[in-house]
Amino acid sequence: MARAGKKVLVLEKRPVLGGATVSEEVYPGFRYSVFSYVVSLLRPEIIRDLQLPKHGLTILPLESTLTPLPDGDYLYRDSDKWATYRNIQRFSARDADAYGEYGRDMYFMAKAVKYILGIRPPDPTSLHPGELLRLAKLGKHFLGLGADKLHMLVKLMTMSSAEFLEEWFESDPLIATLSSSGIIGTFLGPRSPGSAYVLLHHYMGEIDGVFRAWGFAKGGTGGISEAIASSARAFGAEMRTDSGVAEVAIRNGQVKGVVLENGAEIDADIVVSSLDPKLTFLTLLNPEELPNELVDSVRGFDTYGSSGKVNLALDAAPDLACLPGLGPHLRGAISISPNVDYLERAYDQAKYGQFSEKPYIDVVLPSMIDPHMAPPGKHVMSCFVQYAPYQLNEGTWPEQREAFGDAVVNTLSEYIPNLKKIILHRQVLSPWDIEQTIGLSGGNIFQGELSLSQLFFLRPAPGYADYRTPIRGYYQCGSATHPGGGITGAPGRLAALEILKDGKL
Amino acid sequence: MSQDFDAIVIGGGHNSLTAVAYLAKAGMKVAVFEQRGLLGGAASTEELFPGFRFNTGLSDAGLLLPDVIDDLGLTAHGLDWLEAPALAFAPLGAEKSLTLWQDLGRTTEELGQHSKSDAQVFARYTQQNAAFGALLQEMAKLAPPSLQYKPLPLLLAWAKVAIRARRLGGRRMMEFMRVLPMGAARYLDEWFESVALKGLLGAVSVSGLLQGPRAAGTAFMLLYQQMGSTGGYMAMKTAQGGVGAVSAALASAAGSYGAEIHTGVRVAHILSENGKALGVELVDGSQVLAKVVLSGAEVRHTLVDLVGASKLAPSVMRRLRALKLRGSTASVHLALSGLPKFSTSDNDNERLTGDIVICPSLDYAEQAYDDAKYGRFSARPILIARIPSLLDSTLAPDGEHTLSITLRYAPYHLRGSDWGNEKERLGDLAVKVLSEHAPGLKKLIKQRKVITPLDYERDYGLTEGSMMHGQMSLDQLVMMRPVPGFVGYRTPIEGLYINGAGAHPGGGVTGAPGRNAARQVLKEI
Repeated sequence: MARAGKKVLVLEKRPVLGGATVSEEVYPGFRYSVFSYVVSLLRPEIIRDLQLPKHGLTILPLESTLTPLPDGDYLYRDSDKWATYRNIQRFSARDADAYGEYGRDMYFMAKAVKYILGIRPPDPTSLHPGELLRLAKLGKHFLGLGADKLHMLVKLMTMSSAEFLEEWFESDPLIATLSSSGIIGTFLGPRSPGSAYVLLHHYMGEIDGVFRAWGFAKGGTGGISEAIASSARAFGAEMRTDSGVAEVAIRNGQVKGVVLENGAEIDADIVVSSLDPKLTFLTLLNPEELPNELVDSVRGFDTYGSSGKVNLALDAAPDLACLPGLGPHLRGAISISPNVDYLERAYDQAKYGQFSEKPYIDVVLPSMIDPHMAPPGKHVMSCFVQYAPYQLNEGTWPEQREAFGDAVVNTLSEYIPNLKKIILHRQVLSPWDIEQTIGLSGGNIFQGELSLSQLFFLRPAPGYADYRTPIRGYYQCGSATHPGGGITGAPGRLAALEILKDGKL
Repeated sequence: MSQDFDAIVIGGGHNSLTAVAYLAKAGMKVAVFEQRGLLGGAASTEELFPGFRFNTGLSDAGLLLPDVIDDLGLTAHGLDWLEAPALAFAPLGAEKSLTLWQDLGRTTEELGQHSKSDAQVFARYTQQNAAFGALLQEMAKLAPPSLQYKPLPLLLAWAKVAIRARRLGGRRMMEFMRVLPMGAARYLDEWFESVALKGLLGAVSVSGLLQGPRAAGTAFMLLYQQMGSTGGYMAMKTAQGGVGAVSAALASAAGSYGAEIHTGVRVAHILSENGKALGVELVDGSQVLAKVVLSGAEVRHTLVDLVGASKLAPSVMRRLRALKLRGSTASVHLALSGLPKFSTSDNDNERLTGDIVICPSLDYAEQAYDDAKYGRFSARPILIARIPSLLDSTLAPDGEHTLSITLRYAPYHLRGSDWGNEKERLGDLAVKVLSEHAPGLKKLIKQRKVITPLDYERDYGLTEGSMMHGQMSLDQLVMMRPVPGFVGYRTPIEGLYINGAGAHPGGGVTGAPGRNAARQVLKEI
């Protein structure tokens, strides 16, 4: 919006910008990507339009995934196609053959679906010619894929990730590790229908035009926020931290500004909320100003968090039982996902309100790639963990937090024997902590489950998927709007485009 | 028997009989071959013990399309419905219970004792489901469109559904799209607070599925079960003489139109040449030729076993192999010397005229599924029991009764054991769990028969014991049914059609796949 010449002010409650995309020095000398930790979904048009590289954005590749197994064996995949082939072949020759074809098909599907990441969802119930045209365009795009690809798309939209993968592969560590992308951030198991879509969602990444590449931002994920903020400032936007918004002021159904927590009032014709819908509609506004159906939808919007994060400051490099010593595997992801039943059992516990004692953990060591993240010879370790259900059956998260941290460290120690000895500092974040710290209702990292009934024209509420609200001048631009979570920038961009369009009228 | 027919139909299940009747009514010369001694397939009523007749597969005919009844004049062929005042009864222990009645007022009154707010919204819930169920029924009557860019005619037919959907109003239409892919548990949580009510309503949301009620798409199954009903539970209709009476009426209608019906005759092969179906070969080696062949058997069995894998393209084989059948339902049939007394039913037998449901909560159902996920039958299973003899005295000797229990989950694939070992253990478990609510049950049992998914495969020809010929999960519906790429009830073998539950719209005693397939054949010949 600043680039289009608008006078824009950003109000952030915390002392740092970025929301869930922040790097913070929680322990002296060690910088954690506190919440989100890898990037791939950031839209290339945003990188281009906002000239982010000029503002300091550097993405460093994360090229391998290691799955250590309980018996001391491991599955290792990296960007070396033939090495990966040989590695998978040790488990199944058939899988090694299928792996390339699978990658190509997923690449194609992700590209096909990416189209919808760049458009505002149409309203399928509207008879307005503009909406019908949008629908027809969408229909044309998808029917143009051909029947076979459409069938695969339907499968991806409806199946469980494990079952989808079982149509391609047979070896358990491979299926489990691939399927873990389908459970990240959701309250689903690898055998829950709907997780295949989340899998696809994670394949839509593109960095500098290279498809399906995950990476670290230099300086942690906060580096991305800083680059975007710097670009916005260059276009004339103003940023204020430590400025929590208490309420959105409206008059006669038209927004007139905001009231800060310190009582100060700021006037504006347009107010955009990137908070989740519960805060956007029920906290910042008086729900009585809104139609009942919207209030009901927002109350029912599923923001149940299921993930936790453990950040560790390490005195030395971790030593894996399956691959001792330093090596390229430490520059990639280490996935604790030995088999599908392991993940499914972790989910079973969470279903009934317990954190998983043997959780799925996605480990990365940002300091291995970006040495500025930790003092020389020392490291930061980021552990993304499932499942940690927001609602515990017994006790509260402040009571259970450290027990959860212990479960994570104990599980990891089975694969990294020296881990306990080298931990200097441990930060444990439960969904409750995520909610408390950065305001995500329920601690849901996507600002709302990526389930079919909460996607596209249903996100965040039926009839309100066009970034607008019933209050004139009040807009939404967070992950709870289409196309959803991850460091994409897409909801923000699409919302800005709609706002600018309204401005022209 | 080697004269020519216009059409041969394989299998004498209710969908095949429906197809046969439609084809014969249109003047085609049709023959149907059923391998068992009796007709009906999974919609049969069998005398398992002298004097005791049981619905051995599906237990209710509430989903039967009104069009099928009218088009084929089934009432004139002996189909008669019995009035059951209760829809479902859930004994809850400690003298408590919950009953859903045909009469909405009575249900609301009863619900009031459990939750005031649930009693208040129940009528609205039934209205919404009835509207959604009616729309699903419209969809059930149409052939799914092809996903190829071209065929406009099929899309036009579906425009009818779109218009119908629009009549729901924009808000409800949006709600319909939101609800279908939901988990039943979540859908019910949005409406109700009573744990017992949600368990009772959710019990049918996993019919034929190897999934728990939290799984996305189980809300669809919940609504599918309510096609054409208004009671908020399940479309329920009790045929005089049992579910088999529906099959009998269909056979009678087909016969009256001149169809030939053979029982105890098994089709060994489907004859085909150059990708075109020619007829069938029976087990005795005789060949019967026809212009078209319809199969009411499950699609993978039809193509891989009856046509032959060598005649199928690798891409077709791959899709057939990916088909998820997932039989996970067993049944236990009891001949009783008297009517069981439920500790919580105040000796009010009216409550027992519908389903008797043991599923006290959604978590109970989910936990039952957790066992099945790892290849065991549920330690605490979902039971849906019926005492059909209570309404229909023709099913058991005077003063005696039949009780059939449908049990979930009993996965076809067991880990570390087999159904030979587990069969009677499962029977014992079903009786034990039901006895917790009907203490005198065990003493009343004269005879017992357990039918496992393996038995359904061996004796009823249901591959992997799947009564729906393929799990009705979201990825196996509409144009993904019976397998992706098979459009208009056709198969890659020209002149071979699928008319069973594997095809759209799916399982249950609907008659819809049979009717739709027959109409497709009539259009194409």
